[in-house]
Parts: sequence; structure tokens; C-alpha cells
Amino acid sequence: MAPASIAGIQDQSQPAPANVDFKFGKADLDLLEQVNLLDARFERDGLVLSDEATNALLRHIGESLLPRGLKLENVSWKFRALRDSVPNAFALPNGSIYVSTGLLARMDNESQLAAVLAHELTHVLRRHSYLQNRSNRKKYLTMNVMAAVGAFSPGGVAGAVITIVTAIAPFIVLATMFGYGRDLEREADLKGIDMMIAAEYPPEEMVKALKLLTNDIEGEQIKLFYHDHPELQERIKYLSSYLGARADKVTPQMELNREKNAYFAKTESIMRHDIQLAINAARFRSAVYLAQRLVDFHPNSAENVFWLAESYRTLGPRSPQLTDRELANSAKKDAAKKREKRTPEEEERELLATPAGQENWKTHQQKAEELYLRALSLENPEPTAHRGLGMLYEKLGRTSDAVREYQKYIELVPDAFDGERIQKRIEALRRT
Amino acid sequence: MVSTFTLAKSRRFRIATVVGFVLLVVTMSPLVASAQYLHPKIAKQSTIRNVVILPAKVDIVRDSMKGPEGMAAESELLSTRVENTVAEVLARKNVKRLSAPASSSGEGAQQKYTVADIQAKFDDLLPKVMKKRSDVKKGRFSMGDEVLNLNLDKSADAIVFIRGQGQKLTSGKKTFVLLVGGMPAYLRLMIGIVDARNGEVLLYTDPIFAGDPTTAVDRLRKALEKGFKKLPAGT
Repeated sequence: MAPASIAGIQDQSQPAPANVDFKFGKADLDLLEQVNLLDARFERDGLVLSDEATNALLRHIGESLLPRGLKLENVSWKFRALRDSVPNAFALPNGSIYVSTGLLARMDNESQLAAVLAHELTHVLRRHSYLQNRSNRKKYLTMNVMAAVGAFSPGGVAGAVITIVTAIAPFIVLATMFGYGRDLEREADLKGIDMMIAAEYPPEEMVKALKLLTNDIEGEQIKLFYHDHPELQERIKYLSSYLGARADKVTPQMELNREKNAYFAKTESIMRHDIQLAINAARFRSAVYLAQRLVDFHPNSAENVFWLAESYRTLGPRSPQLTDRELANSAKKDAAKKREKRTPEEEERELLATPAGQENWKTHQQKAEELYLRALSLENPEPTAHRGLGMLYEKLGRTSDAVREYQKYIELVPDAFDGERIQKRIEALRRT
Repeated sequence: MVSTFTLAKSRRFRIATVVGFVLLVVTMSPLVASAQYLHPKIAKQSTIRNVVILPAKVDIVRDSMKGPEGMAAESELLSTRVENTVAEVLARKNVKRLSAPASSSGEGAQQKYTVADIQAKFDDLLPKVMKKRSDVKKGRFSMGDEVLNLNLDKSADAIVFIRGQGQKLTSGKKTFVLLVGGMPAYLRLMIGIVDARNGEVLLYTDPIFAGDPTTAVDRLRKALEKGFKKLPAGT
């Protein structure tokens, strides 16, 4: 893969890829100090994935996108995966680029991941964080001054207006702030396209990656008053128009970078890790979606089949996909409010009280049992499937079957990290 | 003759003076408040003798006229101080602190992930607890038996989760708050004690105090003592 060069991605009508003339002020250095500590905190809190292969993949793609020989003051490039099932990526101004496992698991090929990294790299290269921070600080000062004026001008027309403005000022100021952010996001998208072309990644994959992210599996993309990114549909529109003839030139390397199988082979273990994180975070529909992708890719992998079984078991009485009605903005807002109040166990109990919930539960438990048994019958059987069967039978009230499966799991994986938990379950079941 | 304009102006001045004085008193007073909710299992007689305190996550910001600024290093120091003060306060109730899994084992990624996942599970549950804190008394909240994956010392009865947020003010912002109003410097903690065997939330308390969170050591201790007042002493 040819490394990108500054000349290769320079466009006369566009600003240079990197803001090399940036002068650091005190506020910028303070921000830098804070983000350096943030890096350490992610690491300490167990949020960074300790998987050298994944971090090496991210590093390889990231470094291939960077302009050759470019040195930026106070930037030291680090590419890391974050253990988070929500698809997301962000860049810290010190050069740390984080991609969530949720995003890694949703991409179809290396080029789409390159699109995400190119976007984030631009934020660092163009010093967007510092510029945004400076702008926020100015606006916040204005907001404080407005509050002071409002407080000392009670009554009267001007006073009332100022009072209202002050009351909703955080939103107005934030909207302006995030509006400013949208310009920077747009710049990152367009510069990202240039970087992709220079590094021989097919640029249209950025649009495809965005389209993949519009698949709102959990019903959580709610249109609010403002967004930190331009809306996905809007981005797809302006990116498609920017691509134009740029997408016509296709090199053999670009074809290679588009390969789905190669990407899946490299990220299979991350995808499995992400399914567990999705289940932990009660994102059961995402877990089923991702596990199905893995099984479609590698149907005879006992581990993949196990994760699909695990996803269906935990999906329980929920429907595997949201309906159009459930995906309406108002319905998503209502669901978000309910999620704030209700625990997943309470949600499950409520659904089980409905005929549709019972039907889903029955279907999913059956599917899960079939898949667990399949995971045990394939080559290199997955012993954790015994634990899954144990949990399934325990819920179905098949106590002796549950104890048997749990015991098999303990026998086959004597040093399992959750051995104590399963042993306690066996003891409790024996007492009943 | 005094004009209506002058009268209105002098009334406005008096109101501003009174409001300013009240705000000054509120800001300067050592305000400590806390609410605590106990699971019926421990409401009368505590079965908690040994606890593991998981790393606290207390985040504070420095609020200036130019907006809030992060205080990552100070937040880390404060987190450790809060952890230790909680341990001291519990020790006075005959509750012993056992070593936390991450510090005791020092092994690879799996142990680190397990602690991170359990902490994340508490973070997911916390907003629901805060929404209806009194439901702790009904035994509504549980983290499930996944807490056993921490593989704690066998004698551990409960796990303590600590979260907190607060702010300190720059001198400019302090003056601004005195004149105009606004949030003073404060620290609010959200503490959950969870059964180490089945994950049930046994106690939830959220002490809060006004004052600079980085220096108000005594207020922190007093707030925590109040926060754990109802917790019966271990035997």
C-alpha cells in the first residue's frame, strides 16, 4: 500500500491536510495535559482492549493514511480499540485515536475502517479539538455575561427577553457550538476522502460505512435539537456529491482493501468480544445481528455458533428487530425514557406477560438450544455452550438438566473465570 | 419628591442586596446533606462485616468564567481520598475493608475486564436507582450473580461502588456566583453497597456538601458519616 504524501492529497481549493502553523496557548496546553491523563484513565479503567493484533491493525491502517514525514508538535500517534459495544470513534488532540469494538464489528472491510480513521486523523491534523475548545470558551464567557445582564435587569421587555434567553441559553449556545462542530466534521469527512484516495482505499467505502451506521438496530438514534455530527443522511449526500469523479479511479490495491473475508478473518475475535459487551449492555438485538454476521461468515465455527445461541438466549422475549412503528422518533424517545427507569429484568418480566413476548421467548429459547447443541457437535466444540445450556434449562425449570450442564462446564473448563458463580448456581439448584 | 424611577431603583437594589446576602450565606455555610436507603435485609441488623471497595470514580471540574475545565489529576487524587475516607467511616462501624481484586491479583486482561464490566454494570443500574431511590428499601435493584466473577476473598460480604461529581470555582467565578447566583463549589457522591454473593443493592446513599471538593477534607468525612448513619454496625 502506497503511503500517503502531502502532495498526493493536496487540493488547491482545500486547506492543507495538517495545520502545521498552529500556535499553542495556555488553554491549549491545559487541554493537552487533561487528554494525556484521559488516555491513562481509559487504560487503568480496563476500557482499552488489550489485543495486540487489533491494535496493530488499527496502527497499520492509521499510519498508511498519514502524510509521509509529517511531524506535528505535541502529537504522538496511538491507535487503540475501546471496549464499548456502541459504534463510535473519536480522536484526542494528542494523537490518540480510539475506535470502539462496536464500530469495528459493524464494518464490512478494511477500507470502511480506514474511512473512520481518516476522518478522526483529520480532527487531529487540523487541530479541531483546540479550535473547538477556544470557540467554546469564548461563547461560554458570552453566556456568563448574558446571565449577569439578565440578573440585573428584572422586569420590562428587554429584561424578559434576556431572562428567557438566559434560561435557554445553554441550548442556544450549545447549538451554535455544535453547529460550528458540524463544519469541522464536514471538513474531516472531505479531507478523509482525500486521505483514503492517497492511501489507495476506495473512497466510496466512506459512504458505505455511513450507510451501515444508519441501521438503527437498538432504536437509539434520536433526532435531537442538535447533533455533534451532521445527520448521517446529510453526510451521505454531501460525500456522494464530493466523491464524483474521484471514485472512478480504481487500483488493484483498492480492490484488495475492499475484501470482506480478509477483514472478517482479522477481526473475528474482536467481533466475539463485542457480542459479549453488547449482551452486558443489554443491547441484545445488536448481539443477535453481529453473531448472525459471524455465523454467515464462518458457519462451522463452534465459537461463532455459540455466540449466536448466547445472543438468542439473552434476547428472550424481545423481538429480534424493531418494527417501523418502534423506529419512529417519538417511539424511540418513549423507549429511551423507559430504559432510564426500568431494569432489563423488569422489561423482560413485562414482555413475558404479553402473548407476543411469550411467543418470542419460546422461539428464541428453542433456537438457542439448537444452536448450543450444534456448537457442541461441531469440530473443536465450544465447552462454554454447556454453561449456556445450563442457564437455559435453569430458566425453563429443568433443574437436573441444568445441574448436569453446569457440571460438564466446570469439568471441561476447570479454571473458568466464572467457575465460582456456576458452582454457586449448582449448589442453589441442588437445594431446591 | 422622589420619582417612581428612583423608588423602583432603590427597591431593586435592596432585593439584589438581600439575594446576594442569602447566596453568600448558602455558599459559605458548611452545607452537608445526605439521603440513605437500606435493603430490608440489613435495615435492622447488618450482616456486613467485610467489604471490598472498588476503585472510586469521582470527577470534578474547575468552573471558570470561560466554562468548565477538566481536573483529571485532582479527580484521581480525590477518588483515592474518598475511597480511603469511606473505608475509615465504615471501620468505625466495625466493617473491615478487604483488598480490591485489581490491586490484589495484578494478573492479565481478563481480571481487568471483569472489574471494568462490573463497574459498567453498576453505572447502568445507577440512574435507575437514583430515579427511585426509595425502591432500594423494597429490594428492587440487583446486579445479579455476575458479581461472583470478581472472585473476591471468601469472607467478603459486600462490594462498595463509589461515584461522584463536583466542581470547584475559580476566584472570578466565585465572585460571579456571589453576585449573580449559580451553583457553588460542591461534591456529590453516589455510593452503592451491593451483596457480594447475589448482587442485591443493600444500601444507597448520596451525600453532598458545599465547598471546594479538593480541600474540604472534614466536610467530606462528615458527609460520609451522615451518609452511613443508618447502616447498622457490623458485629
